[in-house]
Amino acid sequence: MEKTKDGALPLDGNAAAGLLRELFVLDLTVASLTCEGCGAVATVAEVRVYGGRMGAIFRCGACDTPVLRLSRTPSGFSLDMRGARCLRVPTAPA
Amino acid sequence: MAEVNDVIPETHRVKTLLLGIPGWPGHLPGQHVDVRLTGEDGYQAQRSYSIASAPDAFHVSLTVERISDGEVSPYLVDELHAGDRLELRGPIGGHFVWTATQGGPLFLIAGGSGIVPLMAMLRHRSAAGSTVPAVLLYSSRTLEDIIYREELSNLVGKGDGLTVAHALTRARPAGWAGYARRIDQPMLAEVGFPASARPRVFVCGPTSIVESASQLLLGLGHERSLIKTERFGPTGG
Repeated sequence: MEKTKDGALPLDGNAAAGLLRELFVLDLTVASLTCEGCGAVATVAEVRVYGGRMGAIFRCGACDTPVLRLSRTPSGFSLDMRGARCLRVPTAPA
Repeated sequence: MAEVNDVIPETHRVKTLLLGIPGWPGHLPGQHVDVRLTGEDGYQAQRSYSIASAPDAFHVSLTVERISDGEVSPYLVDELHAGDRLELRGPIGGHFVWTATQGGPLFLIAGGSGIVPLMAMLRHRSAAGSTVPAVLLYSSRTLEDIIYREELSNLVGKGDGLTVAHALTRARPAGWAGYARRIDQPMLAEVGFPASARPRVFVCGPTSIVESASQLLLGLGHERSLIKTERFGPTGG
């Protein structure tokens, strides 16, 4: 199955797992994320993701607030976490 | 780098790639890999594909559906042959994962090629000798679009606690005994486990099916924390 396509329907954090693994040592898709906008808590794997070749925007499923923006450039990564109040990352698979 | 050892047709739009991957660390049922293609001009395209094989299988296999306007899947389905090499990374993703040690009951819901990671779970369940009660509800367009049809039938035939219900949304053969409509709440209630049995639920398919099935399951009283979902791009169930 083909899970990421530029400008297509939102996917979810599962599809961004590889990108996240480039930056984080732990698997961030099993982390729980609290939205700054509405307080909703969701597993990163289930957060809506609008992705493209250059990176991904994660949006809260409840209120659509952008909670993570991760982009990759030739020189490195850029991570903007405004919109995420808290990220709880388990150290073992959920 | 993976080497393509064989390419197996599944349906007219779907093929399975059997891969040999030196140094493969092993995977959990439900995980995926990222496949990267690089053109002669250096242009790169990357897509995620679910692993179809059980962890103990000889090959790591990916089952890929051709998306007609896709950048990667037409190449994987139509151009790849045994002996070709493929750049991939993985296994990736620890959320949409089930192993026999997690127990059940197990309620799997697939739309179209969303069956792939769920098949890895069922193959693992069978290989591990697990008798955890399991139900697969699988929505396809037509009978010919059902991936792994014969293998699923064989798995049910083992009589180890697996039930499979098919729903065909576009066309049905004469005398079709399965469902003839999209997945809806009565169907989920009829084939699945009651919420009181606290099944572990995995839903995979196009975004529309995933969102609707999870809402319907919540409506039936299933706990949000027991429902795991994985969405993929534009394609029909």
